Amino acid sequence: MNTLLAILWKDLVSEWRSRDRIVAMALFSFLVVVVLHFALPGADPAEVRRVAPGLLWVAYLFAALLGLNRAFALELENDALSALAMAPADRGFVFLGKAAANFVLLAVVQFATAVVFGLAFALDLVPVAGPLAGVVALGSLGICSVGTLFSAVAVRTRYREVMLPLLILPLLVPVLLGAVSATASLLQGEKVPFASIQLLVVTDAVFLIVSFLGFEYVLDE
Amino acid sequence: MPAPLPNSAVDRAANALRLPTGILLAVLTGAWLAAVARAPLDSVQGIIQKILYVHPPLAFAAYAGFALTAIGGALFLWRGDEAWDRLARASAEVGVLFCTLVIVTGPIWAKGTWGRWWSWDLRLTITLLLWFVYLAYLLLRSFTEGSERAARFAAVYGIAGLAVIPLNYFALDMAAGRSMHPENLQQGSLGAGMGWPFALGALVCLVAFAQLLARRIEIEALRSALEERVAGAPTGLERSS
Amino acid sequence: MTSGATALHGAPVVSAAGLAKRFGPITALAGVDFEVGAGAVVAVLGPNGAGKTTLLRILAGLARPSAGAVRYAGGADRRSARRFVGYIGHATFLYPQLTARENLHFTARLYGVEDADARIAKLLAELGLEAVADRAAASFSRGLAQRLAIARALVHDPRLVLLDEPFTGLDPVSADRLAARIEALRGAARAVVLVTHDLARAAALADRAIVLVGGSVAFASSGAPRSAGELEHAYRSALDAA
Repeated sequence: MNTLLAILWKDLVSEWRSRDRIVAMALFSFLVVVVLHFALPGADPAEVRRVAPGLLWVAYLFAALLGLNRAFALELENDALSALAMAPADRGFVFLGKAAANFVLLAVVQFATAVVFGLAFALDLVPVAGPLAGVVALGSLGICSVGTLFSAVAVRTRYREVMLPLLILPLLVPVLLGAVSATASLLQGEKVPFASIQLLVVTDAVFLIVSFLGFEYVLDE
Repeated sequence: MPAPLPNSAVDRAANALRLPTGILLAVLTGAWLAAVARAPLDSVQGIIQKILYVHPPLAFAAYAGFALTAIGGALFLWRGDEAWDRLARASAEVGVLFCTLVIVTGPIWAKGTWGRWWSWDLRLTITLLLWFVYLAYLLLRSFTEGSERAARFAAVYGIAGLAVIPLNYFALDMAAGRSMHPENLQQGSLGAGMGWPFALGALVCLVAFAQLLARRIEIEALRSALEERVAGAPTGLERSS
Repeated sequence: MTSGATALHGAPVVSAAGLAKRFGPITALAGVDFEVGAGAVVAVLGPNGAGKTTLLRILAGLARPSAGAVRYAGGADRRSARRFVGYIGHATFLYPQLTARENLHFTARLYGVEDADARIAKLLAELGLEAVADRAAASFSRGLAQRLAIARALVHDPRLVLLDEPFTGLDPVSADRLAARIEALRGAARAVVLVTHDLARAAALADRAIVLVGGSVAFASSGAPRSAGELEHAYRSALDAA
């Protein structure tokens, strides 16, 4: 547990001092929103409202991929990854610490992006802010778990930046479908269907377990 | 003295299966083709319907292949015996072939029956996702430097890929409306005279899979032994001093 | 516990037999036996590509051998042995955004070091890092970074200290300090494995020396090398013979 907090603290403090990841993620996210706006020229508001949830999550996915790719770049700089591999700490908790840090950073960016998104597409997200935050959190949990696991993998392959999306996008389909469905219901002012939440929770649980256990083998030489 | 060939359970099974599956494959394929030719023509779909004897059987093999990949990977992580990794890799390479065939035959059938080249119905989509996972698995293996590391990374990914299949199923089921896919082809829903060609088709695919798998494992085992020989590993060899 | 600098070979802290490591068709190590006891410094010499780094990484638990076994004192397995191994490699393992002190605290937490504050204060003092303790590691010169890397490796008071070419690129003063540090480790009954190209230092510090060539032990001294010249002679002969 100590390990988890130590790593979480280290990542957040490092990020706070350099702010490079979060700025890049946020900027990229905003750009994606703008591009998406241009991708729907002259669409009528009702149509936009229908596709908005999907668009929002596309923006979130891009931001997440960008952030996750950088997550282990910090560790590679002075081969700190080997140092982590040599530590007697339980690697599952190293994973949790890293995933938690990614989650926090992503959450900050997602919040900012939601604001920009609401502005760009004339959507009032305030009334559903609470439940929306919950849905986004569930989605991010899934993204950050397999994302952290496989960014540790991708960063040691030959085409690191490209490898990560190739690996995790097929895996993230359940997360995406659940999150988009839940978000869509919220934006329509309806109750979130239980099925979506159930899907998200189960997927998150499966991913967390696989990643927690799998990280042990991923840190080895 | 030549380096001893790997002799794990996996390799022995592969060696044992090679000949029998080869023979079985030849026999079954003959029987299957005969059955397909004799099967009645579907009144609505016409000759295209005969893809039924190919498409789902290929899918069985594709899914079985990935299950083997994931299980082989898991056993490799647990036991450390690289023979399991051989199984995982061979299964992935053979499986992706079958999966590709499913993706290719799907649209052919779809065009013939519904007039569209592609449909996002549940089964085809989930197989498409599996195909992407297969490809990512193989890319991961080739882009990772170090065969032991590649094996480990791939094993973890294989397990994640297997875990996501049921998740994808529920996700797509939840998200989709009505599926365009022909409903579950159980015993009763197959028309008269379709049972045998279908069952034979399934058998042919599985046996073909086993045959290709056995051969691929053998190639991998030989390559491994060759590498060991080149490296002059101290296992079973006199070292040149 | 063995005492003082006179105990050349205390109980083995780590011993390895028949170590082999293959990377595909390349053999990095081909059957190496190795042992180092408490209070001993073993120098590992050899040309580039001889397998010295591979050997250290296996001892550190970073890499798994293709064949052979490594045994640690007290029957610890690879996992639990990490607790008492310290490794100084080519990379510094430092986080550039964190200060020296924070880097050390982080490592201390990873290793579950008790009374970390006192230990870190002591290390900072011993390695002359007090002045820069609260500066970000990114701003450190090579020498400073090296010293911090050493402090980081010693935070958890490891029983086995592995050093991979630590003298490379160090100015003479820092190098002398490092040599003194190694002597101190020996005095504290720690086991030290020193990979180096610096034959003079190796001769001065080592209780035993081995020469690796092409993944095998080409020469192993029976005791401490008497002089740099003797060591160099042994080294060259080993190279020629291989």
